[in-house]
Amino acid sequence: MICKIAKKEFLLNLMTFKFAVGTILCVVLMIVFMPVLVNDYKQRLKDYNANVAATQAELQKAKVYHTIFMGWRHYIYRPPAILSVFSKDIEHNVGDSVRIGVYEVPELSAGSREVNPYVSILPTLDISLIFKIIISVLALLVACDVISNEREQGTLKLMLSTGVARYQVLLGKLLAGWMTLFIPVTIAFITGLLIWQFSAMIDLTGADWALIGVIYFASLIFISVMYNFGLFASCMTKRSSVSLLLTLFFWMFFIIVVPNLSLHLATFMRPLEPEEATEKRLQEIRERQTKERREAENQIPSRGEIIDIDDGLGRFYVICDQEGIAYRQKLHAVREALFVKHVEQRWNVSHAYVENLFKQKQLANTLSRISPISLYGAVTSALAGTDASSCQDFVIAARGYRQEVIDYIRSKTDNFSLACFFTPFGAVDTNIIKRYNDPTADAEEVQKWKEIKRAQAKSLNLEDFPHFVWKPDVVEAIIRAIPSLSALVFVSVLMFALSFVAFMKYDVR
Amino acid sequence: MIFIIMRKEILQNLLSLRFILLLLLILSLFASSGFVFVGKYRTQSDDYWKKTNENLSGFRNQAGQLYKLAFYEQDIWIKPKALTFCVGGYEKSLPNCFGTDVFLSAWWVKGRHNFLLHHFGDLDWVFIISLPLSFMALFFTYDSICGERDAGTLRLILSRAIPRYKVLLGKYAGAMITIGMPLFVGLLVSLIIVISSGIVELHTNDWTKILVIVLLSILYLSIFTLLGIFISSRMAYSTNSMVVLLLVWVGLVILIPCLGRAVSDVFYKAPSGAEWTRRYSEMLDQLERQAQAGKFGKNALGFHSDPNHPSVNPPAAARYWNAFSEGVMQQREDGHNQRVAQALAGRRFACLSPTVLYQQASEVIAGTGIHRCISTWEQIKRYKSQLKEYVLSNDAEDPDSLHLLFAFEYAVGNWQAISNKPVDFDTVPKFQEQELALGQSIKLAIWDIGLLALFNLVFFAASWVSFMKYDVR
Repeated sequence: MICKIAKKEFLLNLMTFKFAVGTILCVVLMIVFMPVLVNDYKQRLKDYNANVAATQAELQKAKVYHTIFMGWRHYIYRPPAILSVFSKDIEHNVGDSVRIGVYEVPELSAGSREVNPYVSILPTLDISLIFKIIISVLALLVACDVISNEREQGTLKLMLSTGVARYQVLLGKLLAGWMTLFIPVTIAFITGLLIWQFSAMIDLTGADWALIGVIYFASLIFISVMYNFGLFASCMTKRSSVSLLLTLFFWMFFIIVVPNLSLHLATFMRPLEPEEATEKRLQEIRERQTKERREAENQIPSRGEIIDIDDGLGRFYVICDQEGIAYRQKLHAVREALFVKHVEQRWNVSHAYVENLFKQKQLANTLSRISPISLYGAVTSALAGTDASSCQDFVIAARGYRQEVIDYIRSKTDNFSLACFFTPFGAVDTNIIKRYNDPTADAEEVQKWKEIKRAQAKSLNLEDFPHFVWKPDVVEAIIRAIPSLSALVFVSVLMFALSFVAFMKYDVR
Repeated sequence: MIFIIMRKEILQNLLSLRFILLLLLILSLFASSGFVFVGKYRTQSDDYWKKTNENLSGFRNQAGQLYKLAFYEQDIWIKPKALTFCVGGYEKSLPNCFGTDVFLSAWWVKGRHNFLLHHFGDLDWVFIISLPLSFMALFFTYDSICGERDAGTLRLILSRAIPRYKVLLGKYAGAMITIGMPLFVGLLVSLIIVISSGIVELHTNDWTKILVIVLLSILYLSIFTLLGIFISSRMAYSTNSMVVLLLVWVGLVILIPCLGRAVSDVFYKAPSGAEWTRRYSEMLDQLERQAQAGKFGKNALGFHSDPNHPSVNPPAAARYWNAFSEGVMQQREDGHNQRVAQALAGRRFACLSPTVLYQQASEVIAGTGIHRCISTWEQIKRYKSQLKEYVLSNDAEDPDSLHLLFAFEYAVGNWQAISNKPVDFDTVPKFQEQELALGQSIKLAIWDIGLLALFNLVFFAASWVSFMKYDVR
């Protein structure tokens, strides 16, 4: 009997105007949006590849380890998430690069260098939006009159008078609803994936396919939540127009009011201290540290002759005589060790600030989870690797890489004390340096000599230099999505249970 | 007769469940918006005055030596606006702090901004009206024609020889008044909360702007009312009418603005941060090479605390440093312009949506949002020139000065390249944000207002034609 009811309902649904319009719209939107989103991804991937290549080329030009240590032009980049077409979340709001050098420990940021704040006037577009809006509305429209409309037409009375159990009617309708909604979801997914597959430059790995599979599964659960919600409204009301009104009212509440209000509530319940207060504290620490460093440097008396060479684009090194080298060796051994220690102290302050941002974000997420639409958003962003935690994973990996680079330089330069740390040459004759250091010397001659020296300086052999490779962890992404996905399943079961109770008491007259 | 139809429509709507739900939702949203604004504005104002006073006192401390005024990097904060309770204009995500000395200016998003939060919009009047209320406007009109046809009452009305246009106008007026009731009660609640908090003082100019925003809101809601009537007069069944309206609403209010962002990201994307860093480094490198090649004169890069030392050449150094600051400023300017261009291109595309038009027009009228940021940046640049003029004119009176102003503070101070005599701080120009007069704002928003009116006309004409041909059987 359940199958019969399901079949009848399913066929009826297929022939409705709302089903036709909803399905066609989903496909059309997929056809319009997918190429735009794929293009956006391809452009970002191109930028990423160019940036990585530029960094590699830049590294090869380093002539002393000091250049790499300072990290003036040594950036690493977060590759764009391949599944960002499904959900962009905050991927565009945070910087996609971090500097690897002694001056700073990588931290999540959205500085004006990386992010364009002006585009925040426009909301972001991704595929999950189609599901959050169009298919959820379709699910509600399909479900909201399944009981109340049959009551209005008198067919419910007729059906129950033939001895069909109420639970059979409800299960039949549930099954029919799922089958009906399965069609637009699947067609939309297949259309999107076909467009995606025909785009060059995009290679999906097995892990990506697995994640897409989970996103598809999550979409089906989400649709069942929305359907069960509509079913519940239909079981609670006697007129289909009232159930339509109620479901759409709550839909709007879930999609507009809850996500927005949860942000405002989170900012009130967990206010942040202004960023400038952190900057001020950092400035005070920086001043104290500069003083400490100067005192340490003053303990080492300056000796020997030294000439600074600027090799362009931040690549500095020195040419010294024997005494100058000895002086620099002592100086760097002390100074660089202090740099490493000091930057850790400063990072503790800036990290505490970022942690507060995360706590506020966490609170906003928790509050917004009363909306199934927000739950679905959280699942897709976690699986797509565009949520705050995934972006933070990249920063954590970057921190590890920075430490690796520092350790590498330490090992190559005996704790920054070998001459190769600051000069590509051995000791140069004192008289030569004195000659070119003389302020009255002919500027052209000095320049010519420096050019010769620049040409003579050899680049470092960086064959064993650590390379940064970052790949999002698929298992971690799925684990992150599980709480929200479980919540969606729970809401779906709860709504069905409520519908069941309501239908058992439903007055069919 | 129009009046009778209108009264019937209003009474019918007022007694419906949808009106009660709408009233509850809209009132709670307007009240929340008022409370959110009061809390936020208080904190923002405190922060603003604290930072502005700190900046001013720091600036005052430099007045002991003229050259120091030129090098003091002022942090100029955007003043929180009272009218953000009407339209916030996404200001919490836009640059709110501008730094400037006489050479360089920069902008930042600072304060209590959390970039991890995905801001959907400010909980302000424009948000409430453009999303929930416009949605509700459809609820009152989706069955205005086809619903009556279903019930058979449309045939009855028309059989009494009432012209169709009167029915249409009556229904339109009835729906508008019904939607207007929660709107005005909501606005009133919000205003009462804001004014009774005592933290905001609204002047005549502000009241006029509020009035214009309310008129814009009516114009905007009228579009959705007419859209509802139009679709209702194209459909035979009210459920079908609701389906189509829902989808059109989603398209106009949510999808088109999102598509605007996607289009701007793909076709108008500003260069990435890495690209700017590369350009910046190349510019510096090129400048240094030019300096080494003697373009700015001998020893342009040399430095010694004594300006007469043979290793230095103050005029050459001044030329080099001025070229440096101009180059950096040009890059910042380009960076700013391209970022703004990206956002505005997306918005222009999104102007296919009446929601974006309404949002934009309201922002311009209230003086908030992206246009305020752009205007402040321009004002900051003008102020920078004004301050430079002031320093140079005062410096000209000092015979001991070298009269060379360039962006290397240590050299300028040591060489006395600019006078180090004290100046009267009261005569020093201070930054004051200039607001646009209402007339100018309306002039700026005239296209948006015109397009909103056009949407009204188009939907009205469409409803008219559809209803005239509507088969009432």
